[in-house]
This record gives sequence, C-alpha cells and structure tokens, in this order.
Amino acid sequence: MAYKPQYYPGNTSVAKNRRKHMSDDVEKLRDISDEDLTALLGHRAPGSDYPSTHPPLSEMGEPACPVREVVEPTPGAAAGDRVRYSQFADSMYNAPSVPYWRSYHAAINFRGVDPGTLSGRQVNEMRERDMEEYTKRQMETEMTCPGLAGLRGCTVHGHSLRLQEDGTMFDMLDRRRLEGGVIVSDKDQVGVPIDRKVNLGKAMSESEAAKRTTFYRVDNVAFRSDKEVVEHVQKVWELRTKYGFVPKA
Amino acid sequence: MVKTASVTGKPIQIKVFPQRLLQPETAEKLLNEIDQVKGVIRMLIGGKNLPRKVTCGPGTGTDVNHPNMEIIHVGDCAFELHVMVGEVIVELEDESTKEELRKACERALPFSFEFKQGFFIKKKATLTDYGKYGFKSKTDESINLEDERILGLIDPHAKAESNLCVINTGEEK
Repeated sequence: MAYKPQYYPGNTSVAKNRRKHMSDDVEKLRDISDEDLTALLGHRAPGSDYPSTHPPLSEMGEPACPVREVVEPTPGAAAGDRVRYSQFADSMYNAPSVPYWRSYHAAINFRGVDPGTLSGRQVNEMRERDMEEYTKRQMETEMTCPGLAGLRGCTVHGHSLRLQEDGTMFDMLDRRRLEGGVIVSDKDQVGVPIDRKVNLGKAMSESEAAKRTTFYRVDNVAFRSDKEVVEHVQKVWELRTKYGFVPKA
Repeated sequence: MVKTASVTGKPIQIKVFPQRLLQPETAEKLLNEIDQVKGVIRMLIGGKNLPRKVTCGPGTGTDVNHPNMEIIHVGDCAFELHVMVGEVIVELEDESTKEELRKACERALPFSFEFKQGFFIKKKATLTDYGKYGFKSKTDESINLEDERILGLIDPHAKAESNLCVINTGEEK
C-alpha cells in the first residue's frame, strides 16, 4: 500500500482544513494574473526580466558534488534569481490560514523555502520566480481571504485587532480596501502606489470564513473540543520536555 | 462654571468599546449622540493610528492618504481623525445619566459594544503635569492650569491645539 502522509490529527473542521493546507489539497477560488502579482509584490517592474544575482548554474561549472547531483535545483536557483520575500498577515477573526500553516504549506509543498513564522504574520524568502509561484498559490486558493488576510511586506498591524465595520482587517497603510463588493489593491506590499487597481476578489462571508478557517476559536471551533488534537499536542509537549532525558534509577 | 474634573459631585468614567473599529461616519454619529447626553464632562477617543506617511520598510516616506482620515463634526467643533476609532472614554458628572449614555451608544452603533465603568482618565495632576504646567505661583502650589479637565486627555509632549477640542453645547457643562 502506498504511503499516505498523516499531516494532522483531529476530526473538527479546523483540523480537516489544517490537513488540507499542509497537503496542498486546497480549492482555487480566484485568479490573479502574473503581472498583477508582480506589481503587488513590488520587487521588479511587471513584465521585466528577473534580475539575477549569479549566472545560471548550467554556465557556472559547479564543483563535483554528489549532493548537487542528487538535488535538482529549483527554476529560480538554476537561473540565478535574487532571493526575495513575500509576507502575509492573517486576522485572528477566522482568517483561512494561520501563519504556522502557511509555513507548513510552503515547507511541505515547495522547495528552497525559508519561512519565518510569527504570531500574526508569516514571511517567506525564496528565489524570485519560485517565490512568485508560491505566493500565487497561496493567494489564489482558499488559503487566503482578501478581506481577512493580506500581503503585507511591512506595517503588518491587523492580526489581533477587531475587524473594521465592513468586515475587513485593519490596514494602516490602506493597501487594499472594499470597493463595490470586492477587495481592490492599488499599492504594493510595502505601501508604494502601483499603476493599477488589482481586483483580489470577493471577501469571504462570516459563515464561509468560519467554515474554512484554520484558527481554533472558542466562538467557532474550540481547541479543547478536539480531543485527538489535545492528546497529540500534549504528547508532543511531553516528548519535547523530556527530550533525551533518561534518569538512571 | 467649575473648571476641575474632580470636585463636583462624584464623576464616573465609562469606556465604550465597540465590537468593530468605527468608520468616520459612525464615529461622528456616536460622538454626537454622546455629546447630547447631559452631564458629559469630557470624552477621550482612542483607536488605531492612521499615519500620514509610510514610516518603515522600502516605501518609507510615501504618502498613505488613508480614506478614514476624515474631518468630522462634533457639536460645534470640527477636527481631523488621526485614528480609526476603537474606543471612547466618557466622563459623566454622576451616575444618573449612565443609562442615557448607554442608550445613546445603542442608537449610534449598529453592533454590540462593551460598556465598562472604571477609572480610565486621571483626575488629579501628577508629577509630569507639574513638570509641564508648573505651579500657579510661589505661594499657590496648585497646578498652573485654567481648566483642569485637560489633565489626562493628552500626552505630556503632545500639542493641545491638534489633539483637543472644546465643545460648548447650549448650556455650559
């Protein structure tokens, strides 16, 4: 029988969503064009070539190394792209993804990632074209709700704040806002205006967000309501605490 | 008119904490409703800062132009919001108008809110206030302020002009 990874325990909707995020079995909800995404990231002009930091690996003449022979470089590494980042902030009011799950999603399903996970935001560094592919995947699928999460390179404040009256997460730099029922963005992730208004799609309704979220919340799915998860977390905690400690009697 | 915050009756302080961060229109409506309540001595607006410029990252210095940075009218006073309003602390002359205040908030807010009584704004001058305003004179060691209601409303280093509004409704409070 083929091996099937068991990503996360639990039977609640939150646990199931967490498994979905980790296994990349996520539903695509919207389309964001490559040019729009490049503009939102703000690392290079849309349509321009990828600047490189070294020549393509094929031209470099790499030293003989068994590891290099075994590991195929990612497209970005092979082309010599710069390392660039994208960063997401997620509202604790039932945003679809938890920063940790963005990192799990990146580390399990993509190569050449360097995720940094914080309480309310997650930053990921990769080679530029690999990073764009990863960011596009997270933004187009159910991992992101444009109203409750956002691409924020800096000034990420919003995760733990109350939502605005229109149900979107507070954005100090007004990068994106609700206009005509959809979320539009006219600034890149660091707050510099761009030459277009990118339509990020409709924000999730409260009920849909509650259904798709990976946040445990007492007013939605409480962490303690999932016995299997509690048992798993306690086991991990116990093993981490004891580590290799074997007291001799 | 008594120009101290603490001497008349037993003033109480209420914190109104809405479930959502308020848009300027709702904030304006709420503040005007509160202003209509009898016995309001002072109000303190708190919320999330709306900067004029990007202050960090590669975009430092870029104008933000946040649409919520609007001029609102409360009573006979107009001022620009520098925050997205998240809470309003109100000081009332006594307990008698507390329920009236609650009803005013219910009228203005389309969602639920917390309504807490407590001690949120200071009523007496502290060392920093004496440092900023000084004594009245060599013989009078009371604080050198005409209107003590200012105490606790602004930071010691902030300028009063851009942060403080004096609203005169029909009869003086």
